Amino acid sequence: MQGESVVNHMEKTASNPSDEQLVASFREGSAEAMEIIVERYGNRILRFGLKMCGHLQDAEDISQETFLSAFRYLDSFRGETRLINWLFKIASRACMRKRRKKKDEPDREISLDAWLPERPGDEGRSYQIPDPDAGPDAHLDRKEMKKVIGEAMRQLPPHYRIVLNLRDVEGFSTRETADILEISEQAIKTRLHRARLFMREKISEYFEEEAYG
Amino acid sequence: MNSECRTYFERISEFLDGELDRDLCAKIESHLQDCPECRECLESLRRTIELCRRMAEEEIDPGVLARLKRAVLEALNH
Repeated sequence: MQGESVVNHMEKTASNPSDEQLVASFREGSAEAMEIIVERYGNRILRFGLKMCGHLQDAEDISQETFLSAFRYLDSFRGETRLINWLFKIASRACMRKRRKKKDEPDREISLDAWLPERPGDEGRSYQIPDPDAGPDAHLDRKEMKKVIGEAMRQLPPHYRIVLNLRDVEGFSTRETADILEISEQAIKTRLHRARLFMREKISEYFEEEAYG
Repeated sequence: MNSECRTYFERISEFLDGELDRDLCAKIESHLQDCPECRECLESLRRTIELCRRMAEEEIDPGVLARLKRAVLEALNH
């Protein structure tokens, strides 16, 4: 199987194993099952760590910690949630621990009043948000857009950033996100709305500056 | 901006996510027809969400995943 990933090998030689099958194989001592789990979900965990911390080394540390912890405790995984949700729960805790260790990103609250449409002195404001379907040349190329959004995300206080990443980037539902972060669904909705308004403001500021120099 | 705008502004993310009940959705839809500011607010937020969603398409260098896999397996074998 040299030069061929385990996942590819499994796909060619057998049906693609489900997460439940992988967990069962792991419990029987299969190292191959562990390898497939990292191949299957490693990219998502790495990307999440990168968006949360902004540094590849931190993202790698978080991902390593996530999978090591998962394999140590996989025997106690009862399958009440999907494997990926469980991995994100571990990764979220790892991200928050890393942030606490660094102590350079204090959490702060975002007030809803700051984003009300038509605040006094703000009448008729139009947000400059590019149309995502307008094509790559319409506003910015993909790389530049990624940079603008990444920078805006990094300015979000961490407990908003984590919700935005889980809901809007990773696509977890409100209920799943609440379960991953162990907070109420209402808290998820509140933080998500404010995080989105914050992102809108930052993206718009960038394009306003671009337009007016 | 009136009190109706403010009430709906607080729920606009839930509206976009399809998390509101039918009655409230109908009220917001009706309000949007008559309120250009809220329509602008909704559209700019919709675009923002879509731009964030597209961040999920970001690729990680395959070498990084290979390094992660190696590190995890090595750590477990020691």
